[in-house]
Amino acid sequence: MSISRKLLGTLALVAGIVFLADTAAAQQDNLIDTIKKRGKIQVGFGSFLPWAIRDKQGNWVGFEIDVSTKLAKDMGVELDLMPTAWDGIVPSLIAGKFDVIIGGLSITPARQEQVDFTEPYSQSGLGIAASKQLASGLKYPDGYNDAKATFVCRRGTAACKTAEEKWPKATIRQFDDDAIAFQEVINGNAHAILSSEPKPTFFTLQNPDKLFKPTNENVTTTVEGFALRKGNPAAIAYFNDWIGKNKDWLKQRHTYWFKTRDWAANVPAS
Amino acid sequence: MTNFDPARQPPRKRRRRATWLDAVLAALCVCVVGYFVWRINSVLDYGWNWSTIWPFVLKTDPASGRWVPNLIVEGLFTTIRLALWGILLAGIIGTLMGLARTSRYLLLRLIADSYVMLIRNIPPVVFVFVFVFFIASQIMPALGIGDWVRAASPTMQWWLSILFGPPKLIDNFFLGLICLSVFSGAYVTEIVRAGIQSVNKAQIEAGDSLGMSRTDVLRFVVLPQALRTVLPPLAGQFIQLIKDSSLVSLVSIQELSFMAQDIQVATQRVFEVFVLVAVLYFVICFGLSQLFGVLERRAARAHR
Repeated sequence: MSISRKLLGTLALVAGIVFLADTAAAQQDNLIDTIKKRGKIQVGFGSFLPWAIRDKQGNWVGFEIDVSTKLAKDMGVELDLMPTAWDGIVPSLIAGKFDVIIGGLSITPARQEQVDFTEPYSQSGLGIAASKQLASGLKYPDGYNDAKATFVCRRGTAACKTAEEKWPKATIRQFDDDAIAFQEVINGNAHAILSSEPKPTFFTLQNPDKLFKPTNENVTTTVEGFALRKGNPAAIAYFNDWIGKNKDWLKQRHTYWFKTRDWAANVPAS
Repeated sequence: MTNFDPARQPPRKRRRRATWLDAVLAALCVCVVGYFVWRINSVLDYGWNWSTIWPFVLKTDPASGRWVPNLIVEGLFTTIRLALWGILLAGIIGTLMGLARTSRYLLLRLIADSYVMLIRNIPPVVFVFVFVFFIASQIMPALGIGDWVRAASPTMQWWLSILFGPPKLIDNFFLGLICLSVFSGAYVTEIVRAGIQSVNKAQIEAGDSLGMSRTDVLRFVVLPQALRTVLPPLAGQFIQLIKDSSLVSLVSIQELSFMAQDIQVATQRVFEVFVLVAVLYFVICFGLSQLFGVLERRAARAHR
């Protein structure tokens, strides 16, 4: 008797969850309409220099923030910024915590299996910075393909993937946070770091006796797109259209954040 | 309860008198700490710079020119709110489940047993992810807390923001709170069960033979004694809860650890932020330990 009652309770719970999941799926059909009806676009992103960082007042600034702000304005809706831990950013999107990721998420085949991407709205490169103490004798790039060479990178980023592909023999250590990963190289605990430019360049300039750049060219070039839950072709088309119309503006903003340091006065890192 | 049992006495303040042995030990400690500091400075190539992180504790409001809390203090408040409500909720869950675990009814025991076994045997990080993405993401929209708060009157909103933080993040806060409480509740359950079962069976039988009802036996005989027994382990568990609250930063609850990471990215000052956050957690946890010390002594005084 008690067992069957428990079973009934469990069944009711499962049914409830399935029902809720169903309604959540139904809401996805028309994302743009949902956003406009709500009067608010929820944007997920992770904190990453200079994509999205806190300024001295604690407000969000950065390339992504400019993009999201303009997108929301053009759509005529309020912007709801949802800073999200990088590890959980794709699951959070899939779970419906926000409408779209505008977070410097590079378009990779693995990610495309989970989410849909728009056309690229930005193009950036992965750069390398290496430890003077450990790596000055190594010949770039083949000298780094050695089990004794250690690469560090931020977990879950394209950098780790690229390091694995380019230097399959090297040891790769992954960190939750870029700042800590750079510190490892500065301390002489790792040979090199792979990270999205302009960070490797900035750090090398800030730590000239500890770091150097084996090459000034990008290790690879990555493209970034807005990421959406699967099955929103109308919304993808809408965002693609917006990106197309704002190509020049996007390029100008990208240059401002990635090629200049004009913004540095408001940001504590400088 | 007249027999004196030293095991039941709370730690009491002892008279202190330093001997030469203490002096030697103290000197040794200073040497070891000094050696570590020296090692850290020589191994770790790091230019300490505290000045960039202070503005994240307090900032000057450009409008009024006054000091206002910035990210660190906001995160600290969120952590404190998580801790206080978490202790309350985990305490309630734990007490109910602890009673269920010692219940006469098989169904109640089954529910409480499954709850404890399920949570205690999976790692916290996995639990947080599973709970948030599979369970809470279904429950939270259905509860509609956020909508309800946004519809509330301004006075109500002000109170709610004191109790639960900024209205915009209230869904986020409850998500973290429920996650943390359900998780810690399982451990509290075991502590409560142990407390109840530590009460001598003869006392329950004595209560029964006096014709007391089961609730009365529970209320007047079992629980008062159980409470005294569980206070020390409960203090440990609640301190653990405060530290575990940093786990929910993984699912983007904007508490102290989450803010700390944002600030590390913005300032690139990794270790200063770590040290500051460690000090803040220590202050909260140490404060709670002291509070429980007072409660323990008071409970012992009532012990007659």
